[in-house]
Amino acid sequence: MSDQSLADQSPSDLDLNGEVYDGPILEIDKLSISFFTRLREIPAVMDFSAKVMPGEALGLVGESGCGKSTVALGVMQDLGVNGRIVGGSIKFKGRDLNTMSPEELRDIRGSQIAMIYQEPMASLNPAMKIGQQLMEVPMIHEGINEKAAYQRALEVVTDVKLPDPKRILNSYPHQLSGGQQQRIVIAMALMSKPSLLILDEPTTALDVTVEAAVVELVKDLGKKYGTSMLFISHNLGLVLETCDRICVMYSGEAVERGSIEDVFDKMRHPYTQALFRSIPLPGANKNDRPLVAIPGNFPLPHERPQGCNFGPRCDYFEAGRCDSQDIKMAPIEGDELHETRCLKSDEIDWNAPVVAGETKTKGEIGDVVLRMEDLRKYYEVNASSLFGSGTKKVVKANETLSFEARESETLAIVGESGCGKSTFAKVLMGLETATSGEILLYNESIGNTPIEKRSTKTIADVQMVFQNPFDTLNPSMTVGRQIIRALEIFKIGNNEGERRTRMLELLDLVKLPRAFADRMPRQLSGGQKQRVGIARAFAGDAKIVVADEPVSALDVSVQAAVTDLLMDIQREHKTTLLFISHDLSIVRYLSDRVMVMYLGHVVELGTTDQVFSPPYHPYTEALLSAVPIADTSVKKKHIVLEGDIPSAMNPPSGCPFQTRCNWKGHVPGGLCEKSVPPVRMVAEGHQIKCHLSDDDLASMEPVIQIAAE
Amino acid sequence: MDPLSWTGAVGAILNPALLVVSGLFIVAIILMIVLSFFAPPVTLQSNADGTVMAQGGIFGLVETAVRGLLFALLAVIVAYVVSGIVLPYGDAGIIGAVNKQFTPVWISLVVTFVVSIIYKRKLGIYGKLFDNIIGMVGFGLVMFWVFTAIYAGVFDMIATHDPLSQVSGLKNKVPGVPVPGADVMAPGSHYLLGGDNLARDVFSRMIHGSWIVVQIAPLATVFAFMVGITLGLPAGYFGGKFDTGLSFLANLVLAFPVILLFYLLVTPEMVETGIPSYMAAVLFIFPLIFALVLLNSRYHTQPALRTIILAIVLGVLGVLYLSLVNQAGTVLHFLPGWLDLFDVPGGILVVFVSVVFVNSPTIYRIVRGLAMDIKTRDYVAAAQTRGEGPWYIMLWEILPNARGPLIVDFCLRIGYATILLGTLGFFGLGLPPESPDWGSTINAGRGLLSIYPHPALVPAIALLSMVLGLNLLADGLREESLKD
Repeated sequence: MSDQSLADQSPSDLDLNGEVYDGPILEIDKLSISFFTRLREIPAVMDFSAKVMPGEALGLVGESGCGKSTVALGVMQDLGVNGRIVGGSIKFKGRDLNTMSPEELRDIRGSQIAMIYQEPMASLNPAMKIGQQLMEVPMIHEGINEKAAYQRALEVVTDVKLPDPKRILNSYPHQLSGGQQQRIVIAMALMSKPSLLILDEPTTALDVTVEAAVVELVKDLGKKYGTSMLFISHNLGLVLETCDRICVMYSGEAVERGSIEDVFDKMRHPYTQALFRSIPLPGANKNDRPLVAIPGNFPLPHERPQGCNFGPRCDYFEAGRCDSQDIKMAPIEGDELHETRCLKSDEIDWNAPVVAGETKTKGEIGDVVLRMEDLRKYYEVNASSLFGSGTKKVVKANETLSFEARESETLAIVGESGCGKSTFAKVLMGLETATSGEILLYNESIGNTPIEKRSTKTIADVQMVFQNPFDTLNPSMTVGRQIIRALEIFKIGNNEGERRTRMLELLDLVKLPRAFADRMPRQLSGGQKQRVGIARAFAGDAKIVVADEPVSALDVSVQAAVTDLLMDIQREHKTTLLFISHDLSIVRYLSDRVMVMYLGHVVELGTTDQVFSPPYHPYTEALLSAVPIADTSVKKKHIVLEGDIPSAMNPPSGCPFQTRCNWKGHVPGGLCEKSVPPVRMVAEGHQIKCHLSDDDLASMEPVIQIAAE
Repeated sequence: MDPLSWTGAVGAILNPALLVVSGLFIVAIILMIVLSFFAPPVTLQSNADGTVMAQGGIFGLVETAVRGLLFALLAVIVAYVVSGIVLPYGDAGIIGAVNKQFTPVWISLVVTFVVSIIYKRKLGIYGKLFDNIIGMVGFGLVMFWVFTAIYAGVFDMIATHDPLSQVSGLKNKVPGVPVPGADVMAPGSHYLLGGDNLARDVFSRMIHGSWIVVQIAPLATVFAFMVGITLGLPAGYFGGKFDTGLSFLANLVLAFPVILLFYLLVTPEMVETGIPSYMAAVLFIFPLIFALVLLNSRYHTQPALRTIILAIVLGVLGVLYLSLVNQAGTVLHFLPGWLDLFDVPGGILVVFVSVVFVNSPTIYRIVRGLAMDIKTRDYVAAAQTRGEGPWYIMLWEILPNARGPLIVDFCLRIGYATILLGTLGFFGLGLPPESPDWGSTINAGRGLLSIYPHPALVPAIALLSMVLGLNLLADGLREESLKD
């Protein structure tokens, strides 16, 4: 067994007893899973059916809390103490997993079914070398000897395209980057040639360009090994790129099931439709074609409505019909493989154009409010941490940052982790002071003024909205109290009563009910918390708001609502919005100008149209190509970057991007490795930091093309 | 007058019942352990109609039996208690009579539990405690001693005799011995748990000892927490040299031999130099600083209101602090008599100082660690970006969110302080030698332990049950605070 090459033997055509099997790999039938708390039974998954054929990839999409991960855990029979399967069957290669004894399950897990989790660092044992961890898998499941296992580990690590496999096998997990770790986790899952691979949001913790490479890898390996996949994700674009079939879940139920083309182009469930309308696809625009947010909130598992779970939020809801009966999954006429859980799927005119919400007038862009001039922020770190002696190392977190932002303008700052955008935000807020350069707010220099020395007015003018909604509010203070505290600090209102009135007005501003003032943050959903965070930032009538990935941790349907809220407030208050994000779809949707950062450098800066169309900086080009787009009509140029983002502690010489650049060969004389490229103006207001010649830049093709319909 | 037997008349029925039930219970548990190796595991069987059935039952059957027998065992124990309360004095033996004495405590406990369980959904973390058996047992044990202490110390109930008075002829007598001269069967006609070597009532001394323990241990722990929090928060929040320095100091204190420290503190020569008094003056000022900083950081945006609040708090706490520190006969005697509200006996002051001194470094380290963790949260960054001062962030943004682990530690630490109190008493330090506190009583009883174990055993069991209760309570709180 061990001397055979891995790819020769397709595992999926043998059943559990080693005989030939060609039925579905995984067949889930009417599965129901509940969690039991001390108060009540909470149904997490209800009446869920799915089938995965050999070599097929099934995508499971839905918002957080819809039960998609519970399905995966149910397949693994690993629901913890509180979870229990209360109905239905899960057949793996024809045998019901529910009836298996713990020993039989142990045999299957890891060898026949492998799972890849979201957080790579949490899936690897930090105290064990990579090689040891990989070798363990076949040694336990197949009883092969150490030598053969090492051979196989080497082979698999080569397969997941990691450089220098021998060195990697001999290293500990913390010595690898996040992307490399996730590749190792994938390698580990493939070690015993499983028939079914369950991927639970495998790339959510990774940067976009790294994500693109990992997704590419998973796709290739799936083909090579013939492994069936259950791909769980909240990202429709990702599912489009990886899967053959898709199952959309909402509140514990599958609502629509079918091939990718069927569901993406001929959706037959109102939830699927609403979901697509709430994500920013190319062509959506904050003024002419705003996103349509799904009204209302996701129902809590124990407060689901009668009948259709989506009923209360559905545009096509018909009282007395949709809420009177349990709705079953039913095939769509003329297409047996495409099923939907909607009574009215035959009646709704699915091709009706989106009722354009009111088109909004674009805010007038006014004078320059904020100007950065050659801002630099360096940190000194001790190279040898012991005793603090030895040479000091300088981390250049921000390098020659120059730009200006105008009144009621949205400037997007795009970049992956380690690009220096958070450092920049800290310097702007005054939590750190600049090493050199100037920050001018209304022509007043604030770059070297720490926050304690800033005037109340300056502090109130520059405020911030944070990324993680679960972390942005103090969990032990009521929502109202926290906003009132901000008002107190900004010296607004003469007494408690006035401040309370103002606080209620702020809640109105962010479209939250006034009753929320007396609630504790844990009683609010993620989107609602983020709204409170926005209200708090606007407490002192902020002129500049730094929004650090304000929606990236929210579900898609909530993202649209929060984004629109930010835009509405901006129009009303003429706020300058500095929108930090790595999600180019949303950046294209809402920003006026875009600044792309890489390792502390601004590599490209221009209006949204200029940045999103050629000529690009090579990094922008890769970034655009890496972002998954949930639209089958979009054709993307395929660019995959090699390697990971270099550490800011140890940046490459010359151009920061030269280690991963695909265009490096076009520049003669190794110039990229020798000197940092100068900033070039390629058009009015469009600057690029690159050595490429004008001809090369001109020869670039658009990354995203929308096929003519 | 006859001596009381342990269980009296009811023993004829209850003793055999207890024997049988506990015997069966042990057999069932052994059976369950053996079966867990052989019995088939419980698996699921899915039916065609989409429902699921559980298979394999013999193990489940034994489990049910164990549960049933446990309840039967509890029922017998409750029967002992109830019969003691209901039957006239003496009919239910010593156990009955002791329970009769505890009647107000039992009533209070039942009321507390019933009310708490009815309203547990509205009571936050305290209410959640009543979802947890361990926590409920712990809380029950702790409240038992708290109620006992209050009824004995404040209302002078429960105890049958004066803890200090001696009755001749009862020296080292066994439990249930009648008091000479008493001729009516009524509370007080017997030494329920016997007499000690100075012919005092062991039962009453144990009861009165609880009042001392319940008064001192939580209060001393509160002071230790104030010191630990006031120093730990800035150390964790600012880090750097301040942190390094304080942490070194904390390690130094932790490394110091504790017993030696206690002896040093009570040595007359040391007391004369005033070192204990100075230490008290330093350690007791922390609650004052804590309260002032807490309120100032919160209200500094409204100067008028702030000044009023601070003046009131400074006035009240200041006088309390000065009265506490100021003491006639020590180096710190500066207040006029009319302002010195109360005097704390020197021994108790030493107990306080040593408890605070020994415990605060550990609390400091816990708080420092929590502060270092919580200061990376976004809400702390939000507070910083709106220009809050460091003390507001520490006391209003960080501290409330560190409360979970701190409450748990508080419970555990009261337990340690209680034991420490016992240890101090055992060495004859701190409290006066005739004090009925548990540590001193154990110490007094240890000499004749092999001949007359009861004078030492009774307070030892009391101490054990109270500390056990605190530990279980802490466990329950920890478990519940981790949920949701």
